[in-house]
Amino acid sequence: MAVMTVLQAVNDALHHAMGADDSVVVLGEDIAELGGVFRATDGLLKKYGPERVMNTPLAESGIIGTAIGMALYGMKPVPEIQFLDFIYPAFDQIVSEAAKMRYRSGGQFTCPMTIRTPYGGGIRGGHYHSQSSESYFIHTPGLKVVVPSTPADTKGLLLTSIHDPDPVLFLEPKAIYRSVKGEVPEGDHRVPFGVAATARAGDDAVVLCWGAMVHTALKAAALAAEQGWSVQVLDLRTLVPLDEEAVLEAARRTGRVVILHEAPRTNGFGGELAAVVAERAFEHLRAPILRVTGFDTPFPYALEHIYMPDARRTFQAIERVMTF
Amino acid sequence: MALEFRLPDIGEGVAEGEVVQWLVKEGDSVREDQPLVEVMTDKATVEIPSPAAGTVKRIHAEPGKVIPVGAVLVEIELAAGAAAPKIASHGGAPAAPAAAKPAPAAAVAASSGGEVPTPYRRPPGQRAAATPFTRRLAREKGLDIEAVPGTGPAGRVTDDDVLRFAASGGRPAAAAPPTAAARAPSAPSPIPASAAPPSAPASGEDEVIPIRGLRKRIYERMALSKSHAAHFSYVDDVDVTELVQVREAAKERARLRGARLTFLPFILKAVVAGFRQFPTLNATVDEAAGAYTVRKSFNFGIAVDTGAGLIVPVVKGVDRRPLVDLALEIERVATDARTGKSRLDDLQGGTFTITNAGNIGGLFATPIINFPEVAILGVHKIQKAPRVVGDRIAVRDVMYLSISIDHRINDGATGARFMNAVKALLEDPKLILAGEI
Repeated sequence: MAVMTVLQAVNDALHHAMGADDSVVVLGEDIAELGGVFRATDGLLKKYGPERVMNTPLAESGIIGTAIGMALYGMKPVPEIQFLDFIYPAFDQIVSEAAKMRYRSGGQFTCPMTIRTPYGGGIRGGHYHSQSSESYFIHTPGLKVVVPSTPADTKGLLLTSIHDPDPVLFLEPKAIYRSVKGEVPEGDHRVPFGVAATARAGDDAVVLCWGAMVHTALKAAALAAEQGWSVQVLDLRTLVPLDEEAVLEAARRTGRVVILHEAPRTNGFGGELAAVVAERAFEHLRAPILRVTGFDTPFPYALEHIYMPDARRTFQAIERVMTF
Repeated sequence: MALEFRLPDIGEGVAEGEVVQWLVKEGDSVREDQPLVEVMTDKATVEIPSPAAGTVKRIHAEPGKVIPVGAVLVEIELAAGAAAPKIASHGGAPAAPAAAKPAPAAAVAASSGGEVPTPYRRPPGQRAAATPFTRRLAREKGLDIEAVPGTGPAGRVTDDDVLRFAASGGRPAAAAPPTAAARAPSAPSPIPASAAPPSAPASGEDEVIPIRGLRKRIYERMALSKSHAAHFSYVDDVDVTELVQVREAAKERARLRGARLTFLPFILKAVVAGFRQFPTLNATVDEAAGAYTVRKSFNFGIAVDTGAGLIVPVVKGVDRRPLVDLALEIERVATDARTGKSRLDDLQGGTFTITNAGNIGGLFATPIINFPEVAILGVHKIQKAPRVVGDRIAVRDVMYLSISIDHRINDGATGARFMNAVKALLEDPKLILAGEI
C-alpha cells in the first residue's frame, strides 16, 4: 500500500473513479488546469480531457444545478465547492432539489451526485474559509454527510459516495489535508456508510468526533491516559447515516460521553448526539454529556486558536466526566 | 407485658438524639408522663415522658449514646391493669408539638411500615441526587435511591453508597455511620480534582472532636444553605445618631417594665416596615415544589451565641408587639437558648433571621442564610465615626448593616432597595413611630 496524505487520497480516489467509470465527471472553480486551489483534482484534465473535467464560473448555484441535471441524465458528477463557506448560493439547489429528487419523483429519479468541499478551521483562513457548517445539511433529509479523518477513509468513503445513488456532501478536513499521512489501499477501496471507527480503544469514557477533530481527540485521550483514564475515540466517519449503535454501545459501556466538534455549539451536531445518548443510553450515564465545540460567533481570524477546540479543552471535558 | 419504648419522633426533621441523662434507673416504678430521660436533639434538649405506668425493666441507651428515632430507649414492664399506652410503641410522638411544617422524610418513613427508619441526613423535601447509572444500580439491587445516604459531591449518592447500603442490608448505620465526622474518611474514590486534599492524620497532641449534637446540626444546616441558596451580600452604613438618642430616652422607661431596651427591637421594626414594601424577602423556599412562600407573619429568628454553639430562637409576631414587649421577648428566647431551655416551639416557624455581632466587633459580615429562609440580616457595632453632615464633618454614631440574600428568589436591586428602606427608618426613627408599626 502507498502512503498518502488526505489530499493525495482524494486525488487517488478521483483518478480511480474516473478511470473505472466514464459517467464520473468533475466540475468546479479552477479545478481543471490548476487542479483546484488545493490541487485535489491535479492531473485529471490531462488524463480524462475537458469533457469530463470542467472549469465553471464563480457561481455555486450553477455548479450544483448543472451537476443535478447531469445526475438526472444518468451521470455521476462530482462537483467541487472551493470552500464549504462558499456553498450557500447553492443551498437551495442542494436542499430543495438534490435532496428531494428521489422523494419528489416517487423514486423514478435519484440524484447520484457527490459534492466535494473542504471544511473547517485551523489554516488561518478567516471567517470565509474556515467554517464547519455540516449541521445545515444534516438537518436536510435526503442528503448524506460524510467526513473522513484518515487518508484510507478519505479514499474509501469518497468512492462509496461517488457510487451512492443519492446526493452526498463529502466534507474534506482541510486542516489535515497534508499533515496526516497513512497507508491507502490500492484499487477500488470502499468504506461503507453508517459504520463508525474506533480510532483509539478505551473503557472509561468516549469522545465522539469526526474529521480533523479526531486527531485532537486522540491527543486528549493520550493526556487522559497519563492520568490513568482509558478513553475511547469514536470517529463517526458518516454523520448521515449515523452509526447509532456504535455511539450507544460506547455510551453504555463507558457511561461518560464527551462530544467534540469545531462547529458552533448551538444546534451543532453535538446536541443531536447528546439527545440520542440521553434518549437511549440514559440509565448508563455516570456523568453529564459534555460538548467541546467552537463558539457561537462568526469564525474569528485573530482568535482562531481560542475558537478551535484543542487537546487541552477536550482533556478538561474528559477530566470533568471522569471526576464527576 | 413489657413495652419497648422507642425514641419518638419529636418533630422538625429530628432524626436522632443523644441521651444526656436518665432520670430513672432500672427497677424504678414510673407513672405515666413521668420524665424518663433527657435527650439532646439537633434542636434542643427535651425530657421524654413515660408513655405508661409500670416498672423500668431495662435501659437500652447509655448516656452519651446517639440513637436514631425509632430505636429502643427503654423497656417498661406495664403495671397490672395499666391502660394501654396512648401511643404506638414505635415512632409515636407523645411530647412533640404539632409540627408547623410538613412532615419530613424521616418522619414519614417512621410512620409507614413500622420499621426503624433510616437515619439519613437528607433534608426534608430534598430528593436524592444520583447519576442515571447509580439509579439503575440501586434499582437492580432492589433499593429505593431515596433511602440511600449520599457521600458524594454535594451529597450525591454514589455507586459506592448504593453498594455499601445494599451490603448492609438496607441499613446504612453499620457500614456508613450517619455522623458527618465518621462519614468524611469514607469518601468514595475517585476523589474529584476539586475536592479538598485529605488532612494530615491526627498526631498525639491533636484533639479529635466528634461532630454531634448541636454542632452537627449547625454543620449540616450551614452546608445545606451554602450549597443551595445562591448567596449574595450587600452592605451599607447607617447613621444612627438620632436612634441612639431615642433609645437613650426610652431605656429608662423600659427598665421600669423590666426590659433591657437594646437597638434590636428598633431594627426589627424597621425590617418589618421594609418587608411591607418588599414582601418577597420574608419568605421560605420549597425546592421540591419549585415555589417559594411569601410569609405574612413576621417571625424573626435571633441568632444567639451559646456555649454549645449557635442557636436561633424565633421571636413571633414582631409586627404586633410594642417595642418594650419585643425587648422582653427577645431577652426571654435568648436566655432560654443560652441556658438550654428553649422549647421546640421557640425554635421553629421563623420567616427571617437577624444575626447581631455588634457586641463582639468587626465592621460587617456576610451571614449565611438560615435555609429555607431567603435572607438574613447582619447587625453590627455602633461606633463614633466622622460623617459629612451638610457641608461639615461631624462625629456621628454609625452602624453597618449587612444582608445576605438568596439571589434565586430576589435580585440585587430588591435587596438594595429594601436596605435603603430600612436605613431610612433607622436614620430617622421618628418614622418608625409614625409608621404603621
